[in-house]
Amino acid sequence: MRLKIGVYVCECGPNIAERVDIDRVIKVISSLEEFEDIELVVKRYKLLCSNDGQAFLKNEIESNALTHLVVAACSPRDHESTFMNVCKKTNLNPYLFNMVNIREHCAWVIPDKAKATEKAIRSIRAGIRRTLHQSELLERELDANPDVLIVGGGIAGMEAALMLADEKRKVCLIEKTERLGGKSIFYSQLLSRQGNSAKMIQQKIEAVQQNAHIQVFTETELESVVGFFGNFEIVLKVGKETELQTGLKAGAIVIATGFRLLNPNKLPQTVYQKEDEVYTTLEVESMILNEGKISLKSGKSPQSIALVHCVGRDEKGYCSTICCSTIIKIARMLKAKLPQISIRVYYRDLCLPHKTDQQTYEEVKAEGVDFIRVKEAGIQNTSIEYTQIDGVKKKESADMVILAPAMEPADGTEALAELLNVSLGETGFFQEAHHHLNPVATSIEGIYIVGAAQGPKGISESVAQAQAVSGKILNRLIPGEKIVPEVKVCKVLEDFCTGCQTCLEVCCYGAISFNEVKGVSVVNEAVCRGCGNCVASCPSGAMRAIHFTTPQLYREMIEAIR
Amino acid sequence: MNNTYDTLVIGSGIAGMEASLLLAKGGKKVCLVEKLPLIGGNIIKNEESYPHLECSTCMVAPVQQEILQHPNIDLMMLSTVQKVEGEAGDFHVTLHQKPRYVSLTACIGCGMCYEPCPVSLKNEWEENLSDKKAIYIACAGALPNVPVIDPEHCLQISGKKNCKACQEACMFEAIDFSDQENEVDIRVKTIVVATGFELLDVSHFSHLGYGKLPGVYTAMEFERLFASNGPTSGELTLRDGEKAPKSVAIVHCIGRKEQGYCSGVCCMSSLKHAHFVKHKLPDASITHFYSDLCVPGKLSQKFLHQVKEEGVHFIFQTDPEAVRVAENGSGLEVKYTHGKGVQETLSVDMVILEPAMIPDKTASQIAKILAIDQDNHGFFRTLDEKAGSTETSRSGIFVAGCAEGPKDAQYAVIQAESAVGHVVRSLSVSHTE
Amino acid sequence: MKTTTAKSLRVSKKEGVRKPILAFLKSLLTDAVFDAILIPMQVPAGDSYAWVLVKDPSLLDQANPLAPIMPVQGAKALKSLTRKGEGNLKIAAVMRPCEVRASVELAKLNQIHLESITLMSVDCPGVLPVADYFENPGESEKRFNAMLSENRWGNGSMKSVCQICEQFSILPSSDFHFGLMTGSESSVVLISSSPKGQRVLKDRSLDGSVSLSDWENGIESIRQERKKERTKRFREVQSMVEGFDGLLKTFARCIGCHNCQSACPICYCRHCYFGSEASKLDSDFILKKAEQRGGLSFPLDRRMFHVGRMSHMSLSCVACGLCSDACPVSIPVADVFSFVADQTQRTFDYKAGEKREEPLPIRQYRLEEIKGVEEWVKDAEGVES
Repeated sequence: MRLKIGVYVCECGPNIAERVDIDRVIKVISSLEEFEDIELVVKRYKLLCSNDGQAFLKNEIESNALTHLVVAACSPRDHESTFMNVCKKTNLNPYLFNMVNIREHCAWVIPDKAKATEKAIRSIRAGIRRTLHQSELLERELDANPDVLIVGGGIAGMEAALMLADEKRKVCLIEKTERLGGKSIFYSQLLSRQGNSAKMIQQKIEAVQQNAHIQVFTETELESVVGFFGNFEIVLKVGKETELQTGLKAGAIVIATGFRLLNPNKLPQTVYQKEDEVYTTLEVESMILNEGKISLKSGKSPQSIALVHCVGRDEKGYCSTICCSTIIKIARMLKAKLPQISIRVYYRDLCLPHKTDQQTYEEVKAEGVDFIRVKEAGIQNTSIEYTQIDGVKKKESADMVILAPAMEPADGTEALAELLNVSLGETGFFQEAHHHLNPVATSIEGIYIVGAAQGPKGISESVAQAQAVSGKILNRLIPGEKIVPEVKVCKVLEDFCTGCQTCLEVCCYGAISFNEVKGVSVVNEAVCRGCGNCVASCPSGAMRAIHFTTPQLYREMIEAIR
Repeated sequence: MNNTYDTLVIGSGIAGMEASLLLAKGGKKVCLVEKLPLIGGNIIKNEESYPHLECSTCMVAPVQQEILQHPNIDLMMLSTVQKVEGEAGDFHVTLHQKPRYVSLTACIGCGMCYEPCPVSLKNEWEENLSDKKAIYIACAGALPNVPVIDPEHCLQISGKKNCKACQEACMFEAIDFSDQENEVDIRVKTIVVATGFELLDVSHFSHLGYGKLPGVYTAMEFERLFASNGPTSGELTLRDGEKAPKSVAIVHCIGRKEQGYCSGVCCMSSLKHAHFVKHKLPDASITHFYSDLCVPGKLSQKFLHQVKEEGVHFIFQTDPEAVRVAENGSGLEVKYTHGKGVQETLSVDMVILEPAMIPDKTASQIAKILAIDQDNHGFFRTLDEKAGSTETSRSGIFVAGCAEGPKDAQYAVIQAESAVGHVVRSLSVSHTE
Repeated sequence: MKTTTAKSLRVSKKEGVRKPILAFLKSLLTDAVFDAILIPMQVPAGDSYAWVLVKDPSLLDQANPLAPIMPVQGAKALKSLTRKGEGNLKIAAVMRPCEVRASVELAKLNQIHLESITLMSVDCPGVLPVADYFENPGESEKRFNAMLSENRWGNGSMKSVCQICEQFSILPSSDFHFGLMTGSESSVVLISSSPKGQRVLKDRSLDGSVSLSDWENGIESIRQERKKERTKRFREVQSMVEGFDGLLKTFARCIGCHNCQSACPICYCRHCYFGSEASKLDSDFILKKAEQRGGLSFPLDRRMFHVGRMSHMSLSCVACGLCSDACPVSIPVADVFSFVADQTQRTFDYKAGEKREEPLPIRQYRLEEIKGVEEWVKDAEGVES
């Protein structure tokens, strides 16, 4: 079949027309010798992106039976999709179309019209050459399983399960310990802005247990996961006997593995023994919950209690966000139970980023809790050694000390990250896909993170994230609808692959696996996003980005500079 | 324009955009209402956003583009919600749209129309730091890249003179002086409120000198001053447009006491401001007046250390708002309390005030129209007993972003996605019923 | 965990170091510490060396851990042995440090499997250029052994890359090391520096009370001399290859045989782009190029080949010098490549093959990497304005 390339130059009103000599462009391009065995249709149009322009283009493609299309106009960022959509309405494969930017690259940046015109001609020539090396690519559709696996039965995992489960979508919730609720079941009270009642947690646990569409596995961990968004195959390790449960399938996975508190005993500035009256915030919470009162190990009531903030903050390198509100909540509970005793809070910075928390702080202060600002503080058993803000060192003692240690990623975080091939950030928590724009997704499509697994946070923020995950999954994984994976993916040329597996390490999407039998890498095209990291790093040139091949780029470049 | 939608999203900041786009991608029909002639909200005023110092415009522009091009989103700019009747599953909403006078379909954003306009005005989107014409776009890179005419000051529309300068300059016949305001009735099943925030007006703190002393800036003014698409193209100069500041004081927590809450993000943005100054003017001395360094989250404290290492000073004040700023020759002096009550002064060229985030000025009106509760600060209230949820006091209406309370872009996006979760759930319920 | 233990072997002046080392290796085979030993062995004609996987202890008599030439890089031998995974045998490979480093690089690239291999390195005096050696093998042997026994290391008759090699002794990546530069002629120090190395020393009746300081001092003084020489030599190479013209001139003799690539232990691609169909050009295009330049020499892409190969392998180059040995037209390929490798590896704070746990620079991203680029961009901007 004789090739017939349509080249359409957009005037973009005065934008291109006034700065580039389009007549000359048309004349030169039409008479290019090197394309003489190819039929060229070269035309100009005043505004190709307009409705009229799109109709014109559609008609041109059909009436000329074009085999390739080049549009010289604005930035592909503005209108590449517009013109690809025009192609889709015809028989022309949209990947045999190429857009050349003669506005931002020529008209707008080169004051000399003759030079701008020359560059436009070169760019169009390069574009034509590239188009000749492009090949038809086809969009595919894949079936997707709408079910969801949630790892971790704390508040975030439960909330996500409740938001996601319905008749058309089953949720499998796995929990490492023997019961649901995570750390939140140790709280006797929530923050005032969380309704003040721990009943909420219990209600959620019951709601999860009663929901027919949620299958709960306690004392269960992930054994293995293979597959990709829409089609994960999962093996669980269930129960004390760790029997393997296979055959589980899900379209998405939510990581909700939560946190643990840093062990203050590991820090040089907090020295105490087990028998000392020193507790972490979590230990005090459960003491109040289980015993309904605050008492020393001897059974007596303490006469003075010291609460110390920011334990391990410097060592971890981050502020755990929620400890200030927690300490203030605990101080208030203590004051309510033991109104006569001295309660002193040693803090560095008040971190109360929620709109209601400062008011609570003011109230607790007014109730008679002393707040002492320190530069740094440590403990020796139950005596508190601290440096005032003016540099003066002081020492005080209390009957009981409560420490607010930093939040750390939960046990097993690293192993889980490796199993799922998702990244951990520099502070050891799971890394979100984009800090601002995609905070509950990971770089692996279909794997999400919620709650303290993503970073230190409280119940409200964990709930919000869990609901956010439902927003993502409910819109991306719709029962009965198929998913369309990326078209412009990368491929392995097996003959060239030496099996060094460099590509496996640089792929951000976990799209590449290794075929041990053949000794070559294999790209899962359903997962690949075509970023080209593997292409750039492959030492033996065995990777090809199918819409950015070496001939495409090389010929385009040669044509532009010759 | 079809007049039934799955969701009405009010506000096109980062939260409103995320909610609209997520729903649209999931096949839901969205009507997105924005009162300004551009979309993007406050985040696009920032040159870079912490903690990764990523270019905000570059980060958000693809999202804006998608919003503009998505077939499932009908975008109504220059529009406000007038009336809401009905109930969850079938709200009857009346929208009011002001005329733009420039056709969104015909205009290609070439910008030929600004030059000939004889009217010059202060550009309030740029915090009045630069001028605009009566036909204008807010700033370079504003999206959609289509200007709007200020009818009050346009000679033609206000009837002062038969001026057609812009119309004559336009090659696309995109300008229509007869464009009329418009009332549109739509029916929606759910509503997401994402009306965002503004910064507290600091001019009533007379001891801080804002509005009187030209060297005193608000955080938002500084953001624009630093922005490469801003009034000075990113050149850091004082209001005279020439002199660069040699010394800068950054005062935290303006309005924290008055408002009764910590906005949670200003410490990080003030650190970012210090970093900006250091980046552009390495020799400038920078002093923070702070009481608490609120740097929550897994990444923020590292940024604090980075800024400290850049040689930025920190002076603790029990109440930073109590510092006084006065004139001192051609510069300024900051009076503050050092240690145990000793008064000190620091001479500087520039003072940046970091004010509290407060609800957008339209919040009370919207609360009334939607019949949803506000808290005592004017932010929309979510249900306490459902800690962390984005459900408001009225079924079918959800809130996301800073309309609910001060927060960073990450949490705003999380809330937007949470609201979307609720929207989709309630849509599927009403569907099955 | 890194565990270092040292013992020593007695050496008589008359015997030299080779015999006691071979006797020690023999005992390792007979006591089944290893199932086989990979080691250079003199060919029957006595005029070259080949890698032999020795199962029969008596064969070790012909082996030479300090062969005067390196006709094949040890890593290549090890690759042939383990490319398709490993057997169950425990194998020791007795190698020069550059061979150990090449093996470690190839292991990082999954071309060699080291799980059951114990890498034994030897203090290396350097090797002779193969062409020099082949002129008179018998004479060369004598000359080399004399230099060895007189401790004249870094001698000018060694290969040029050997004369400036600083990594000629123990490496963090070797399991076991034979230290020869003890100053006294009566001992060789045996150093185990990994659990695998520990297995070698276990149950050997050897002199246990060894001070390493003499050996360390000996090594250090040679290293210092070489460092000086290296700086000087690199300056010469730089002025030789600098600029486009310098590069053209240096490789002008190239006949496009690609022998350097075949000999290189690091060049491990299945198919080289420069030999592939993809690198062939249309004759029209070639004519056009000739027209532009006035003339075009063949074979095409000879310099491009070197630049391409350099960009592909310089981060892993171990400066073994096999490429220069392989060049039939005596281009100083190794001098140029080792000079460039020194710079590229320094950019990423990486030394090819030195540490096993250090990831290849192309596989990891570090924020600091960008800082240098930022500075560079700033400089470039400064120049413009």
